[in-house]
Amino acid sequence: MSEHNRPAEGILQVRGLSAGYGPLTVLHDLDFAVTAGEKVALVGLNGHGKSTLFRAISGLTDWQRGSIRLAGREVGGSRSGGAGRMTHKIVRMGLAHMPQGDAIFPGLTVAQHLDCGAFTATAWRQRRRRRDELLAIFPPLQKLLASPVGSLSGGERRMVSLARGLMTPAKLYLVDEPSLGLAPKISRSIVDALLALELGTGAMVIAEQNLALLTGRVDRVLGMHAGQLKGSA
Amino acid sequence: MTHDLSYIALTALNLSCIYALLALGVSIVFASLGLVNMGHGFSFAAAGYGAWLVASHFSSNPWAVMGGGLLTGALSGMLICAIAFIPLHEKPNFVLRGMVATLAINLLGIQALQTAFGPSSRSLPALFGSGPWALGGWSVPADKAGAIACALLLMALTMAWMTRSRMGLQVRAMMQNPEGASLVGIGVRRTALLVMAVTGGLAGMAAVLLSQTYFVSPYAGTTPLVKGLIVALAGGLGSVPGAVAAAVLVGVIEALTSALLGGQYVLITQFLFIIAVLLLRPRGLGGLLDHSRE
Repeated sequence: MSEHNRPAEGILQVRGLSAGYGPLTVLHDLDFAVTAGEKVALVGLNGHGKSTLFRAISGLTDWQRGSIRLAGREVGGSRSGGAGRMTHKIVRMGLAHMPQGDAIFPGLTVAQHLDCGAFTATAWRQRRRRRDELLAIFPPLQKLLASPVGSLSGGERRMVSLARGLMTPAKLYLVDEPSLGLAPKISRSIVDALLALELGTGAMVIAEQNLALLTGRVDRVLGMHAGQLKGSA
Repeated sequence: MTHDLSYIALTALNLSCIYALLALGVSIVFASLGLVNMGHGFSFAAAGYGAWLVASHFSSNPWAVMGGGLLTGALSGMLICAIAFIPLHEKPNFVLRGMVATLAINLLGIQALQTAFGPSSRSLPALFGSGPWALGGWSVPADKAGAIACALLLMALTMAWMTRSRMGLQVRAMMQNPEGASLVGIGVRRTALLVMAVTGGLAGMAAVLLSQTYFVSPYAGTTPLVKGLIVALAGGLGSVPGAVAAAVLVGVIEALTSALLGGQYVLITQFLFIIAVLLLRPRGLGGLLDHSRE
Protein backbone atom coordinates (compact mmCIF):
# COMPACT_ATOMS: atom_id res chain seq x y z
CA MET A 1 0.00 0.00 0.00
CA SER A 2 1.40 3.38 -0.98
CA GLU A 3 1.85 5.67 1.94
CA HIS A 4 1.54 9.43 1.88
CA ASN A 5 2.33 10.79 5.27
CA ARG A 6 0.59 14.03 6.00
CA PRO A 7 1.40 14.85 9.56
CA ALA A 8 -0.28 18.22 9.30
CA GLU A 9 -3.65 16.88 8.27
CA GLY A 10 -5.51 13.68 9.11
CA ILE A 11 -7.61 11.45 6.95
CA LEU A 12 -10.73 13.49 7.46
CA GLN A 13 -11.09 17.11 8.44
CA VAL A 14 -14.62 18.50 8.78
CA ARG A 15 -15.07 22.18 9.64
CA GLY A 16 -18.24 24.17 10.21
CA LEU A 17 -20.41 21.56 8.54
CA SER A 18 -24.15 22.06 8.36
CA ALA A 19 -26.21 19.70 6.28
CA GLY A 20 -29.73 18.43 5.83
CA TYR A 21 -32.58 17.57 3.53
CA GLY A 22 -34.77 20.23 1.93
CA PRO A 23 -35.81 22.76 4.59
CA LEU A 24 -34.57 20.51 7.39
CA THR A 25 -31.18 21.19 8.98
CA VAL A 26 -29.82 18.06 10.66
CA LEU A 27 -26.17 18.96 11.28
CA HIS A 28 -25.40 22.29 12.93
CA ASP A 29 -21.97 23.81 12.39
CA LEU A 30 -20.06 20.65 13.24
CA ASP A 31 -16.30 20.07 13.51
CA PHE A 32 -14.86 16.59 13.25
CA ALA A 33 -11.45 15.11 12.49
CA VAL A 34 -10.07 11.60 12.08
CA THR A 35 -6.39 10.72 11.85
CA ALA A 36 -4.72 7.76 10.17
CA GLY A 37 -5.05 4.39 11.86
CA GLU A 38 -7.85 5.51 14.17
CA LYS A 39 -11.02 3.60 14.96
CA VAL A 40 -13.70 6.01 16.17
CA ALA A 41 -17.13 5.21 17.54
CA LEU A 42 -19.96 7.64 16.94
CA VAL A 43 -22.80 7.04 19.34
CA GLY A 44 -26.14 8.70 19.72
CA LEU A 45 -29.85 8.16 19.45
CA ASN A 46 -31.80 7.77 16.25
CA GLY A 47 -32.39 10.99 14.39
CA HIS A 48 -29.51 12.95 15.87
CA GLY A 49 -27.44 13.05 12.69
CA LYS A 50 -25.00 10.12 12.67
CA SER A 51 -26.14 8.89 9.30
CA THR A 52 -26.49 12.43 7.99
CA LEU A 53 -22.85 13.11 8.87
CA PHE A 54 -21.81 10.03 6.89
CA ARG A 55 -24.10 10.94 4.01
CA ALA A 56 -22.77 14.50 3.94
CA ILE A 57 -19.22 13.17 3.69
CA SER A 58 -20.15 10.95 0.74
CA GLY A 59 -22.18 13.70 -0.90
CA LEU A 60 -25.58 12.09 -0.45
CA THR A 61 -27.36 14.82 1.48
CA ASP A 62 -29.57 17.30 -0.35
CA TRP A 63 -27.39 20.19 0.71
CA GLN A 64 -24.42 20.96 2.91
CA ARG A 65 -22.35 23.96 3.89
CA GLY A 66 -18.85 24.01 5.30
CA SER A 67 -15.63 22.20 4.56
CA ILE A 68 -15.03 18.45 4.28
CA ARG A 69 -11.45 17.45 3.45
CA LEU A 70 -10.80 13.81 2.68
CA ALA A 71 -7.06 13.02 2.74
CA GLY A 72 -6.28 16.66 2.10
CA ARG A 73 -8.74 17.18 -0.76
CA GLU A 74 -11.88 19.25 -0.46
CA VAL A 75 -14.93 17.11 -1.18
CA GLY A 76 -17.58 19.26 0.44
CA GLY A 77 -17.43 22.11 -2.07
CA SER A 78 -20.58 23.78 -3.27
CA ARG A 79 -22.91 21.27 -4.79
CA SER A 80 -24.93 22.37 -7.79
CA GLY A 81 -26.05 18.99 -9.02
CA GLY A 82 -28.01 17.64 -6.08
CA ALA A 83 -27.65 14.58 -3.91
CA GLY A 84 -25.39 11.81 -5.11
CA ARG A 85 -23.92 13.71 -8.05
CA MET A 86 -20.33 13.61 -6.77
CA THR A 87 -20.60 10.44 -4.69
CA HIS A 88 -18.80 8.13 -7.13
CA LYS A 89 -15.90 10.56 -7.38
CA ILE A 90 -15.60 10.93 -3.61
CA VAL A 91 -15.70 7.14 -3.29
CA ARG A 92 -12.88 6.87 -5.80
CA MET A 93 -10.80 9.29 -3.72
CA GLY A 94 -10.71 6.67 -0.99
CA LEU A 95 -14.02 6.52 0.82
CA ALA A 96 -15.81 3.31 1.74
CA HIS A 97 -19.28 4.06 3.06
CA MET A 98 -21.36 1.12 4.25
CA PRO A 99 -24.75 2.78 4.67
CA GLN A 100 -27.74 1.96 6.77
CA GLY A 101 -30.06 -0.27 4.78
CA ASP A 102 -27.02 -1.83 3.11
CA ALA A 103 -27.71 -0.43 -0.42
CA ILE A 104 -27.51 -3.88 -1.94
CA PHE A 105 -28.42 -4.91 -5.49
CA PRO A 106 -31.17 -7.50 -4.89
CA GLY A 107 -30.72 -9.43 -8.14
CA LEU A 108 -26.94 -9.68 -8.12
CA THR A 109 -25.20 -12.55 -6.40
CA VAL A 110 -22.84 -12.26 -3.47
CA ALA A 111 -19.87 -12.86 -5.79
CA GLN A 112 -21.09 -10.11 -8.13
CA HIS A 113 -21.44 -7.69 -5.19
CA LEU A 114 -17.86 -8.33 -4.25
CA ASP A 115 -16.76 -7.80 -7.86
CA CYS A 116 -18.68 -4.50 -7.90
CA GLY A 117 -16.82 -3.44 -4.80
CA ALA A 118 -13.47 -3.85 -6.56
CA PHE A 119 -13.81 -0.67 -8.58
CA THR A 120 -10.20 0.40 -9.09
CA ALA A 121 -7.94 -1.30 -11.64
CA THR A 122 -5.68 -2.69 -8.91
CA ALA A 123 -8.55 -3.93 -6.79
CA TRP A 124 -10.12 -5.56 -9.84
CA ARG A 125 -6.92 -7.48 -10.61
CA GLN A 126 -6.61 -8.64 -7.02
CA ARG A 127 -10.31 -9.30 -6.47
CA ARG A 128 -10.03 -13.08 -6.14
CA ARG A 129 -7.42 -12.86 -3.41
CA ARG A 130 -9.28 -10.10 -1.60
CA ARG A 131 -12.49 -12.09 -1.85
CA ASP A 132 -10.86 -15.06 -0.17
CA GLU A 133 -9.60 -12.82 2.63
CA LEU A 134 -13.07 -11.39 3.17
CA LEU A 135 -14.69 -14.83 3.10
CA ALA A 136 -12.36 -15.75 5.95
CA ILE A 137 -13.68 -12.72 7.87
CA PHE A 138 -17.33 -13.42 7.02
CA PRO A 139 -17.43 -17.24 6.74
CA PRO A 140 -21.22 -17.53 6.25
CA LEU A 141 -20.85 -15.89 2.82
CA GLN A 142 -18.71 -18.75 1.52
CA LYS A 143 -21.71 -20.96 0.79
CA LEU A 144 -23.80 -18.08 -0.58
CA LEU A 145 -21.49 -16.80 -3.32
CA ALA A 146 -23.91 -17.75 -6.10
CA SER A 147 -27.11 -16.66 -4.30
CA PRO A 148 -28.92 -13.43 -5.20
CA VAL A 149 -28.49 -11.06 -2.28
CA GLY A 150 -32.22 -10.22 -2.37
CA SER A 151 -32.88 -13.72 -1.02
CA LEU A 152 -30.52 -13.46 1.98
CA SER A 153 -31.31 -12.73 5.62
CA GLY A 154 -30.64 -9.36 7.24
CA GLY A 155 -27.38 -10.47 8.82
CA GLU A 156 -26.12 -11.97 5.58
CA ARG A 157 -27.01 -8.81 3.69
CA ARG A 158 -25.11 -6.74 6.22
CA MET A 159 -22.06 -8.95 5.72
CA VAL A 160 -22.35 -8.56 1.94
CA SER A 161 -22.62 -4.80 2.25
CA LEU A 162 -19.59 -4.62 4.55
CA ALA A 163 -17.55 -7.03 2.44
CA ARG A 164 -18.39 -5.07 -0.70
CA GLY A 165 -17.16 -1.90 0.99
CA LEU A 166 -13.94 -3.63 1.99
CA MET A 167 -13.04 -4.94 -1.47
CA THR A 168 -11.11 -1.81 -2.43
CA PRO A 169 -8.65 -0.46 0.14
CA ALA A 170 -9.94 2.93 1.31
CA LYS A 171 -8.55 5.78 3.35
CA LEU A 172 -11.73 6.26 5.33
CA TYR A 173 -14.30 3.61 6.22
CA LEU A 174 -17.70 4.84 7.39
CA VAL A 175 -19.78 2.02 8.85
CA ASP A 176 -23.36 2.96 9.65
CA GLU A 177 -25.00 0.95 12.45
CA PRO A 178 -23.50 -2.49 11.79
CA SER A 179 -25.68 -4.05 14.50
CA LEU A 180 -29.01 -2.50 13.48
CA GLY A 181 -31.82 -5.01 13.27
CA LEU A 182 -29.60 -8.03 13.88
CA ALA A 183 -29.72 -10.68 16.58
CA PRO A 184 -27.20 -9.91 19.39
CA LYS A 185 -24.98 -12.87 18.56
CA ILE A 186 -24.73 -11.95 14.88
CA SER A 187 -24.18 -8.26 15.55
CA ARG A 188 -21.38 -9.12 17.97
CA SER A 189 -19.64 -11.32 15.41
CA ILE A 190 -19.97 -8.61 12.73
CA VAL A 191 -18.57 -5.90 15.02
CA ASP A 192 -15.76 -8.27 16.06
CA ALA A 193 -14.87 -8.80 12.41
CA LEU A 194 -14.85 -5.05 11.76
CA LEU A 195 -12.70 -4.21 14.76
CA ALA A 196 -10.23 -6.94 13.83
CA LEU A 197 -9.57 -5.42 10.40
CA GLU A 198 -6.10 -4.18 9.54
CA LEU A 199 -6.64 -0.61 8.38
CA GLY A 200 -3.06 0.24 7.44
CA THR A 201 -2.99 4.00 7.00
CA GLY A 202 -6.78 4.12 6.77
CA ALA A 203 -9.25 5.06 9.47
CA MET A 204 -12.68 3.83 10.44
CA VAL A 205 -15.71 5.54 11.95
CA ILE A 206 -18.49 3.28 13.24
CA ALA A 207 -21.87 4.75 14.03
CA GLU A 208 -23.61 2.64 16.65
CA GLN A 209 -26.45 2.87 19.14
CA ASN A 210 -25.33 -0.13 21.10
CA LEU A 211 -22.41 1.43 22.95
CA ALA A 212 -21.68 -1.80 24.82
CA LEU A 213 -20.50 -3.44 21.61
CA LEU A 214 -17.74 -0.88 21.16
CA THR A 215 -16.62 0.47 24.53
CA GLY A 216 -12.98 -0.16 25.28
CA ARG A 217 -12.36 -1.49 21.80
CA VAL A 218 -12.07 1.74 19.82
CA ASP A 219 -9.63 4.64 20.07
CA ARG A 220 -12.26 7.30 20.73
CA VAL A 221 -15.95 7.53 21.44
CA LEU A 222 -17.87 10.58 20.27
CA GLY A 223 -21.44 11.34 21.20
CA MET A 224 -23.80 12.88 18.74
CA HIS A 225 -26.68 14.93 20.01
CA ALA A 226 -29.05 17.19 18.07
CA GLY A 227 -26.70 17.50 15.12
CA GLN A 228 -23.61 18.31 17.15
CA LEU A 229 -20.73 16.26 18.50
CA LYS A 230 -19.87 15.85 22.17
CA GLY A 231 -16.73 14.23 23.51
CA SER A 232 -13.06 14.35 22.66
CA ALA A 233 -13.44 15.77 19.17
CA MET B 1 -50.30 -25.86 -46.40
CA THR B 2 -47.02 -26.86 -44.76
CA HIS B 3 -45.19 -24.37 -46.95
CA ASP B 4 -47.61 -21.67 -45.88
CA LEU B 5 -47.08 -22.49 -42.23
CA SER B 6 -43.30 -22.49 -42.49
CA TYR B 7 -43.48 -19.12 -44.28
CA ILE B 8 -45.58 -17.69 -41.46
CA ALA B 9 -43.17 -19.11 -38.91
CA LEU B 10 -40.20 -17.61 -40.72
CA THR B 11 -41.81 -14.17 -41.02
CA ALA B 12 -42.79 -14.33 -37.37
CA LEU B 13 -39.27 -15.21 -36.34
CA ASN B 14 -37.77 -12.46 -38.49
CA LEU B 15 -40.06 -9.80 -37.05
CA SER B 16 -39.68 -11.15 -33.51
CA CYS B 17 -35.93 -10.84 -33.70
CA ILE B 18 -36.00 -7.25 -34.91
CA TYR B 19 -38.63 -6.18 -32.36
CA ALA B 20 -36.62 -7.89 -29.66
CA LEU B 21 -33.56 -5.81 -30.58
CA LEU B 22 -35.59 -2.61 -30.26
CA ALA B 23 -37.43 -3.70 -27.14
CA LEU B 24 -34.19 -4.73 -25.45
CA GLY B 25 -32.92 -1.19 -25.95
CA VAL B 26 -36.09 0.44 -24.61
CA SER B 27 -36.18 -1.97 -21.70
CA ILE B 28 -32.54 -1.67 -20.65
CA VAL B 29 -32.64 2.14 -20.87
CA PHE B 30 -35.79 2.34 -18.78
CA ALA B 31 -34.52 -0.03 -16.14
CA SER B 32 -31.07 1.51 -15.77
CA LEU B 33 -31.77 5.19 -16.42
CA GLY B 34 -35.50 5.52 -15.68
CA LEU B 35 -35.88 7.04 -19.13
CA VAL B 36 -38.67 6.04 -21.54
CA ASN B 37 -36.68 6.65 -24.68
CA MET B 38 -39.16 7.87 -27.29
CA GLY B 39 -36.14 8.92 -29.35
CA HIS B 40 -35.39 5.28 -30.12
CA GLY B 41 -37.37 5.65 -33.37
CA PHE B 42 -35.08 8.49 -34.41
CA SER B 43 -31.98 6.38 -33.70
CA PHE B 44 -33.58 3.66 -35.82
CA ALA B 45 -34.36 5.98 -38.76
CA ALA B 46 -31.02 7.80 -38.56
CA ALA B 47 -29.15 4.48 -38.57
CA GLY B 48 -31.04 3.47 -41.72
CA TYR B 49 -29.72 6.60 -43.43
CA GLY B 50 -26.25 6.10 -41.97
CA ALA B 51 -26.16 2.64 -43.50
CA TRP B 52 -27.55 3.99 -46.75
CA LEU B 53 -24.87 6.72 -46.91
CA VAL B 54 -22.15 4.15 -46.39
CA ALA B 55 -23.67 1.86 -49.02
CA SER B 56 -24.07 4.57 -51.64
CA HIS B 57 -20.85 6.55 -51.06
CA PHE B 58 -18.25 4.17 -49.71
CA SER B 59 -18.84 0.51 -50.14
CA SER B 60 -21.71 -1.91 -50.30
CA ASN B 61 -19.71 -4.47 -48.37
CA PRO B 62 -22.22 -5.94 -45.88
CA TRP B 63 -19.86 -5.38 -42.93
CA ALA B 64 -19.34 -1.73 -43.85
CA VAL B 65 -23.09 -1.15 -44.24
CA MET B 66 -23.86 -2.80 -40.92
CA GLY B 67 -21.03 -0.89 -39.27
CA GLY B 68 -22.47 2.37 -40.65
CA GLY B 69 -25.88 1.57 -39.18
CA LEU B 70 -24.45 0.45 -35.85
CA LEU B 71 -22.25 3.52 -35.50
CA THR B 72 -24.98 5.99 -36.50
CA GLY B 73 -27.36 4.33 -34.07
CA ALA B 74 -24.82 4.49 -31.26
CA LEU B 75 -24.06 8.15 -31.98
CA SER B 76 -27.77 9.07 -32.01
CA GLY B 77 -28.16 7.25 -28.71
CA MET B 78 -25.33 9.31 -27.22
CA LEU B 79 -26.86 12.49 -28.65
CA ILE B 80 -30.20 11.67 -27.00
CA CYS B 81 -28.35 11.00 -23.76
CA ALA B 82 -26.51 14.32 -23.94
CA ILE B 83 -29.68 16.31 -24.65
CA ALA B 84 -32.40 14.49 -22.73
CA PHE B 85 -30.71 12.56 -19.93
CA ILE B 86 -27.66 14.41 -18.62
CA PRO B 87 -29.25 17.84 -18.09
CA LEU B 88 -32.59 16.47 -16.87
CA HIS B 89 -32.00 13.35 -14.81
CA GLU B 90 -31.72 15.09 -11.45
CA LYS B 91 -34.74 17.30 -11.99
CA PRO B 92 -38.01 16.41 -10.27
CA ASN B 93 -40.50 14.45 -12.34
CA PHE B 94 -37.74 13.20 -14.62
CA VAL B 95 -39.74 10.31 -16.11
CA LEU B 96 -42.26 12.69 -17.64
CA ARG B 97 -39.68 15.29 -18.64
CA GLY B 98 -37.47 12.65 -20.19
CA MET B 99 -40.39 11.22 -22.15
CA VAL B 100 -41.35 14.65 -23.51
CA ALA B 101 -37.74 15.57 -24.31
CA THR B 102 -37.05 12.33 -26.16
CA LEU B 103 -40.36 12.58 -28.00
CA ALA B 104 -39.33 16.07 -29.11
CA ILE B 105 -35.96 14.73 -30.25
CA ASN B 106 -37.78 12.01 -32.16
CA LEU B 107 -40.04 14.48 -34.00
CA LEU B 108 -37.28 17.02 -34.66
CA GLY B 109 -34.89 14.30 -35.77
CA ILE B 110 -37.39 12.81 -38.19
CA GLN B 111 -38.07 16.27 -39.66
CA ALA B 112 -34.33 16.84 -39.95
CA LEU B 113 -33.90 13.55 -41.79
CA GLN B 114 -36.75 14.47 -44.12
CA THR B 115 -35.20 17.89 -44.80
CA ALA B 116 -31.80 16.38 -45.42
CA PHE B 117 -32.74 13.36 -47.48
CA GLY B 118 -36.24 14.11 -48.80
CA PRO B 119 -39.37 12.09 -48.14
CA SER B 120 -38.72 9.33 -50.67
CA SER B 121 -37.67 5.90 -49.47
CA ARG B 122 -34.23 4.41 -50.07
CA SER B 123 -33.28 0.81 -50.26
CA LEU B 124 -30.17 -0.82 -48.90
CA PRO B 125 -28.27 -3.44 -50.86
CA ALA B 126 -29.02 -7.07 -50.06
CA LEU B 127 -26.56 -7.88 -47.32
CA PHE B 128 -26.94 -11.62 -47.12
CA GLY B 129 -26.70 -12.58 -50.78
CA SER B 130 -29.63 -13.16 -53.10
CA GLY B 131 -30.08 -16.89 -53.34
CA PRO B 132 -31.84 -18.91 -50.66
CA TRP B 133 -29.82 -20.51 -47.87
CA ALA B 134 -30.13 -24.25 -47.67
CA LEU B 135 -30.57 -25.19 -44.04
CA GLY B 136 -31.01 -28.92 -43.64
CA GLY B 137 -33.85 -29.83 -45.98
CA TRP B 138 -35.26 -26.28 -46.06
CA SER B 139 -34.42 -23.49 -48.39
CA VAL B 140 -34.75 -20.22 -46.52
CA PRO B 141 -34.77 -16.79 -48.23
CA ALA B 142 -31.38 -15.19 -47.61
CA ASP B 143 -32.68 -11.85 -46.32
CA LYS B 144 -34.73 -13.45 -43.58
CA ALA B 145 -32.19 -16.11 -42.64
CA GLY B 146 -29.41 -13.53 -42.42
CA ALA B 147 -31.51 -11.07 -40.41
CA ILE B 148 -32.56 -13.77 -37.97
CA ALA B 149 -29.04 -15.08 -37.54
CA CYS B 150 -27.64 -11.57 -37.00
CA ALA B 151 -30.35 -10.56 -34.56
CA LEU B 152 -29.97 -13.74 -32.53
CA LEU B 153 -26.22 -13.23 -32.41
CA LEU B 154 -26.65 -9.62 -31.28
CA MET B 155 -29.13 -10.59 -28.59
CA ALA B 156 -26.79 -13.28 -27.34
CA LEU B 157 -23.93 -10.77 -27.29
CA THR B 158 -26.06 -8.20 -25.43
CA MET B 159 -27.12 -10.77 -22.85
CA ALA B 160 -23.53 -11.91 -22.42
CA TRP B 161 -22.40 -8.30 -22.09
CA MET B 162 -25.04 -7.65 -19.44
CA THR B 163 -24.36 -10.78 -17.44
CA ARG B 164 -20.65 -11.44 -17.87
CA SER B 165 -18.74 -8.21 -18.44
CA ARG B 166 -17.65 -5.73 -15.82
CA MET B 167 -19.48 -2.87 -17.55
CA GLY B 168 -22.65 -4.97 -17.73
CA LEU B 169 -22.32 -5.66 -14.02
CA GLN B 170 -22.10 -1.92 -13.36
CA VAL B 171 -25.16 -1.26 -15.50
CA ARG B 172 -27.16 -3.89 -13.64
CA ALA B 173 -25.97 -2.55 -10.30
CA MET B 174 -27.22 0.89 -11.31
CA MET B 175 -30.54 -0.59 -12.45
CA GLN B 176 -31.10 -2.17 -9.06
CA ASN B 177 -29.84 0.48 -6.67
CA PRO B 178 -28.48 3.79 -7.97
CA GLU B 179 -27.29 4.90 -4.54
CA GLY B 180 -25.52 1.61 -3.92
CA ALA B 181 -23.92 1.93 -7.36
CA SER B 182 -22.59 5.40 -6.59
CA LEU B 183 -21.12 4.02 -3.35
CA VAL B 184 -19.03 1.57 -5.36
CA GLY B 185 -17.72 4.31 -7.62
CA ILE B 186 -20.12 3.92 -10.54
CA GLY B 187 -20.87 7.28 -12.15
CA VAL B 188 -24.37 7.74 -13.53
CA ARG B 189 -23.42 9.94 -16.48
CA ARG B 190 -20.67 7.76 -17.86
CA THR B 191 -22.78 4.64 -17.47
CA ALA B 192 -25.74 6.42 -19.09
CA LEU B 193 -23.67 7.38 -22.14
CA LEU B 194 -22.49 3.80 -22.45
CA VAL B 195 -26.00 2.35 -22.11
CA MET B 196 -27.42 4.80 -24.63
CA ALA B 197 -24.61 4.05 -27.09
CA VAL B 198 -25.13 0.30 -26.81
CA THR B 199 -28.93 0.46 -27.08
CA GLY B 200 -28.66 3.00 -29.92
CA GLY B 201 -26.35 0.58 -31.68
CA LEU B 202 -28.93 -2.18 -31.24
CA ALA B 203 -31.58 0.09 -32.78
CA GLY B 204 -29.15 0.79 -35.61
CA MET B 205 -28.65 -2.90 -36.29
CA ALA B 206 -32.42 -3.44 -36.12
CA ALA B 207 -32.80 -0.73 -38.78
CA VAL B 208 -30.25 -2.34 -41.07
CA LEU B 209 -31.83 -5.78 -40.62
CA LEU B 210 -35.39 -4.53 -41.14
CA SER B 211 -34.25 -2.69 -44.28
CA GLN B 212 -33.78 -6.12 -45.82
CA THR B 213 -37.59 -6.36 -45.75
CA TYR B 214 -38.79 -2.73 -45.76
CA PHE B 215 -37.39 0.54 -47.18
CA VAL B 216 -35.40 3.19 -45.32
CA SER B 217 -37.44 6.40 -44.91
CA PRO B 218 -37.61 9.27 -42.39
CA TYR B 219 -40.72 7.77 -40.84
CA ALA B 220 -39.34 4.25 -40.84
CA GLY B 221 -38.70 4.42 -37.10
CA THR B 222 -42.21 5.27 -35.93
CA THR B 223 -43.94 1.90 -36.24
CA PRO B 224 -40.93 -0.08 -34.97
CA LEU B 225 -40.69 2.34 -32.01
CA VAL B 226 -44.33 1.71 -31.14
CA LYS B 227 -43.77 -2.02 -31.43
CA GLY B 228 -40.56 -1.86 -29.44
CA LEU B 229 -42.44 -0.02 -26.68
CA ILE B 230 -45.27 -2.59 -26.81
CA VAL B 231 -42.80 -5.43 -26.51
CA ALA B 232 -40.81 -3.76 -23.73
CA LEU B 233 -43.98 -3.03 -21.75
CA ALA B 234 -45.45 -6.48 -22.28
CA GLY B 235 -42.15 -8.05 -21.33
CA GLY B 236 -41.94 -6.10 -18.09
CA LEU B 237 -39.65 -3.06 -18.38
CA GLY B 238 -36.11 -3.96 -17.47
CA SER B 239 -36.42 -7.68 -17.93
CA VAL B 240 -34.24 -9.01 -20.74
CA PRO B 241 -35.81 -12.51 -20.91
CA GLY B 242 -39.28 -10.94 -20.65
CA ALA B 243 -38.54 -8.67 -23.60
CA VAL B 244 -37.36 -11.60 -25.68
CA ALA B 245 -40.45 -13.67 -24.82
CA ALA B 246 -42.78 -10.75 -25.56
CA ALA B 247 -40.98 -10.07 -28.84
CA VAL B 248 -41.55 -13.66 -29.95
CA LEU B 249 -45.26 -13.42 -29.09
CA VAL B 250 -45.71 -10.05 -30.80
CA GLY B 251 -43.85 -11.27 -33.90
CA VAL B 252 -45.99 -14.42 -34.07
CA ILE B 253 -49.16 -12.34 -33.68
CA GLU B 254 -48.04 -9.98 -36.45
CA ALA B 255 -47.21 -12.80 -38.86
CA LEU B 256 -50.40 -14.74 -38.09
CA THR B 257 -52.59 -11.64 -38.33
CA SER B 258 -51.22 -10.52 -41.66
CA ALA B 259 -51.43 -14.03 -43.09
CA LEU B 260 -54.91 -14.86 -41.82
CA LEU B 261 -56.73 -11.51 -41.48
CA GLY B 262 -54.69 -9.00 -43.50
CA GLY B 263 -51.97 -6.48 -42.72
CA GLN B 264 -54.37 -3.69 -41.68
CA TYR B 265 -55.34 -5.61 -38.53
CA VAL B 266 -51.79 -6.04 -37.24
CA LEU B 267 -51.69 -3.06 -34.87
CA ILE B 268 -55.18 -3.90 -33.58
CA THR B 269 -54.28 -7.45 -32.59
CA GLN B 270 -50.95 -6.33 -31.13
CA PHE B 271 -52.58 -3.71 -28.93
CA LEU B 272 -55.27 -6.18 -27.88
CA PHE B 273 -52.45 -8.53 -26.93
CA ILE B 274 -50.63 -5.98 -24.79
CA ILE B 275 -53.86 -4.86 -23.13
CA ALA B 276 -54.56 -8.49 -22.27
CA VAL B 277 -51.04 -8.99 -20.91
CA LEU B 278 -51.15 -5.86 -18.79
CA LEU B 279 -54.63 -6.72 -17.46
CA LEU B 280 -53.48 -10.17 -16.39
CA ARG B 281 -49.92 -9.31 -15.39
CA PRO B 282 -49.55 -5.58 -14.73
CA ARG B 283 -45.78 -5.91 -14.41
CA GLY B 284 -45.48 -7.68 -17.74
CA LEU B 285 -44.27 -11.14 -18.59
CA GLY B 286 -40.89 -10.47 -17.00
CA GLY B 287 -42.12 -11.31 -13.52
CA LEU B 288 -42.69 -14.89 -14.64
CA LEU B 289 -39.19 -15.35 -15.93
CA ASP B 290 -36.92 -12.94 -14.16
CA HIS B 291 -36.10 -13.70 -10.57
CA SER B 292 -33.71 -10.81 -10.34
CA ARG B 293 -36.30 -8.18 -9.55
CA GLU B 294 -37.93 -8.20 -6.18
